[in-house]
Amino acid sequence: MVKTEMGRLQEHPILEFKRGKEVTIYFNGKPIKAFEGETVAAALYAAGVRVFSRSFKWHRPRGFFCAIGKCSACMMEVDGIPNVRTCKVYVRDGMQVKTQSGMPEAENDVLSILDDVMDTVFPHGSHYLKFTTSKNARRFIVNQLRKFTGFGYPPKAVYQGKAGYEEIETEVLVIGGGPGGMSAAINAAKYGAKVLILDENPFLGGQLVKQTHRFFGSAKERAGTRGIKIAEILEGELRSFKNVDVRLETRAFGIYNGEVGAHQKGEVDKLLRIKAKKIIVATGAYERTLVFENNDLPGVYGAGGVQTLMNVYGIKPGNRGLIVGSGNVGLILTYQLMQAGVEVAAIVEALPTIGGYFVHAAKVSRLGVPIYTRHTILKALGKKCVEGAIIAKLDERWNPIPGTEKKFDCDFICVAVGLSPAHELLYQAGCEMKFIPELGGLVPLRTKYNETTVPGLYTAGDVDGIEEATAAIMEGRICGIHAAISLGYGGKEAEKELEEAVKELDEFRAGPFGQKVVVGIKKCLVEGVKV
Amino acid sequence: MSELKVAVIGGGIAGLSAAYFLAKSGAEVEVFEQRYLLYGASGRNSGGLTVQFNDEELIKLALRSLDLYDELQSEVKFNFLLRKDGYLKIANKNDEAKLESEASLLKKFGVKIEILNQNEVKELVPDINTKAFDLAYYFSKGGTVFPWPVIWGLARGCKALGVKVYDYTPATVVVENGSVKGVQTLDGLHKADFVINAAGAWSNEVSKSAGVELDNKIFKENICVTESLRPYLDPYIFDVSNNAYLSQSMRGEIVGGVVGREIDQIDKKGELDPLIRYAKFATNLIPKLKGLSVLRQWVGVYDLGKNGKPVIGFTKVKGFVQLNGFGRHGMSLGLAAGEKVAEMVLKK
Repeated sequence: MVKTEMGRLQEHPILEFKRGKEVTIYFNGKPIKAFEGETVAAALYAAGVRVFSRSFKWHRPRGFFCAIGKCSACMMEVDGIPNVRTCKVYVRDGMQVKTQSGMPEAENDVLSILDDVMDTVFPHGSHYLKFTTSKNARRFIVNQLRKFTGFGYPPKAVYQGKAGYEEIETEVLVIGGGPGGMSAAINAAKYGAKVLILDENPFLGGQLVKQTHRFFGSAKERAGTRGIKIAEILEGELRSFKNVDVRLETRAFGIYNGEVGAHQKGEVDKLLRIKAKKIIVATGAYERTLVFENNDLPGVYGAGGVQTLMNVYGIKPGNRGLIVGSGNVGLILTYQLMQAGVEVAAIVEALPTIGGYFVHAAKVSRLGVPIYTRHTILKALGKKCVEGAIIAKLDERWNPIPGTEKKFDCDFICVAVGLSPAHELLYQAGCEMKFIPELGGLVPLRTKYNETTVPGLYTAGDVDGIEEATAAIMEGRICGIHAAISLGYGGKEAEKELEEAVKELDEFRAGPFGQKVVVGIKKCLVEGVKV
Repeated sequence: MSELKVAVIGGGIAGLSAAYFLAKSGAEVEVFEQRYLLYGASGRNSGGLTVQFNDEELIKLALRSLDLYDELQSEVKFNFLLRKDGYLKIANKNDEAKLESEASLLKKFGVKIEILNQNEVKELVPDINTKAFDLAYYFSKGGTVFPWPVIWGLARGCKALGVKVYDYTPATVVVENGSVKGVQTLDGLHKADFVINAAGAWSNEVSKSAGVELDNKIFKENICVTESLRPYLDPYIFDVSNNAYLSQSMRGEIVGGVVGREIDQIDKKGELDPLIRYAKFATNLIPKLKGLSVLRQWVGVYDLGKNGKPVIGFTKVKGFVQLNGFGRHGMSLGLAAGEKVAEMVLKK
């Protein structure tokens, strides 16, 4: 059994958690112990806090969810500054953290009554239609509506961060430091291009840092190596180049006509204006969720959130979980949870067969976790956080069969039903996009070298179609080399490697698991300009 | 005599207002919107409402519009989420003459513009940095409106009166022997006795299709919103000297931007420079906004008559009427201008 202390894993068969100095933060005035290097959200979670905020209108509870600064459920007031994403801010001794929605606070919110009555009194959109006939009635209702609006309290203090500004010129800009981005940066840099790589996280590696399992794929692409190790290898290689500038905690917010705006956090909060000749977007993907009753209850997580909590911060997500989705992510997560001493009640899969690789499924079955195929989750149980779940069998038309409901006791539900490309930057930059179900959603049209319809703008990794890290690394290699060649680097040698890389990726995708991807890519492949 | 038939090109505030008043008087009206309602400047602006203009004609339209906001909400039974919490124009000393002449002109119309000292401004906006400006001219009856329900409400009112509002229907003007015959869409000719050109930034092209020269200037403006806050900022603030503005929406977001720049061709791609200029302006004016994140940025395009004023009235082509060129002030002027054009058409 894995030892836990203060909600934190103490021993782990694969991972080692180096915790910083113990500090005290104050949550709604109450002292909470935390360790340096932990985010506020993670520390609160370890201390048993489950309700982080309340929803805007119905005052439904919101809790820890994405763990990567995307979902906004964890926004709180930190040292007088409203709307701080607590999953992205590290604890500091004496930090004052307050929930900002709910009366008097998020956990015990008297306004949660609105959840039961709002729809009856104010059905959706009715605030435009009620009390409209007289000026005074309208003024009254506008004033009342305004009282309930807004998320954070007005800022009490002036933000103390120092503001800075930097203009950067580079040859290749890579946005995203996951496997695809790092590989692109390495391959552009190795032929001599000047490269800048950004990542919004304080570390490189993207989602690899959560992957404690060994990889498949070709030996050349590091099969048999654990994801976390691959991240280290790539980072080591990347950092060995003198012509690569790495900026962490740096978020690119827009691509404006070949110029990129980014925000770099640090002692000085910097606005970066980056002029780049080639831009490679490797922003990865988001987790999908499912529609079921109470799917917004704290305790319903994406697989990534749970992995971050457990594998990055060493915090136990709960005692007993239900996993929805039997793809590789669901199966691997189940195994990781059990490694961390968390019980898994069951895996639920809507398809008639298990989605993931056989080896993963076999491993999970050996551990005695039941997999319910042709089942779906109907509802999460609980008032403030998950206390259980109800699943049911599906008929051929995907409708739940009455009478087949099963109830599980669990304190969290993990939805692992796939990913959607994080395509916003590409879309904003003006790339021609297409919705391709085989690739997971809206993806850019691209050449076989992964150049989009915006000249000089490339993509690598999940952002242009959901695959695995191995494919992301190979795509990164292709567009990194192509970008270098178009800048005049590498010569014949690079051109030869480029064609090899394209061939290798084609071969990699030719396997049985690549079929869907191949179909998808055919739909968005365009002819490019020859280098 | 058969019923008066009117085609309106453009489903923004001015076009819908004209359509509404015409239909109210019994005309048969069709509105042609090239994309969808809210696609143009009426769906992309920050909803500032004021009468602080340097021109009598504009002041008249703006004053009438403020009344119409009240009347129309009752008539169409739709709440536009209008907040008359004041419109504050701030400036540095160099722009004193401009603000003074606005204020004295408004005096003639019986409108009081309060000249606030810095303490009085602090009372209105407690966190404002009073070093950021020298002068503050306050119109207490101005305010902020959420543009979307204005358009939804007008469209609803129009439809209730039998107006047909077509979206995704680009239209050109058909002229025969010097007078309009109707408008041409992909599905054919829609006959009309009058065609009203309320196409905003696209008005020049519509006018060209009628063979009428219109040389409105086209502008492109970037706006952004932050994450939402509880009620914080009551008035709409416009900085005359910095050409930038901000206010708080009903959803609690801080909405603002910098005044647009003239462009040759319509494009709606977001730009970095205005975003940076706005961020500097906003955090200098209200330093406590510094830690707030910007959620979204977008661009709107609008047209301004070449002499700086709206273009309202008949043209050399019989039955072809201009209702465009409002610049940044469509929300403040559009309702009354639509009503005015409706009256002109009905009188003909």
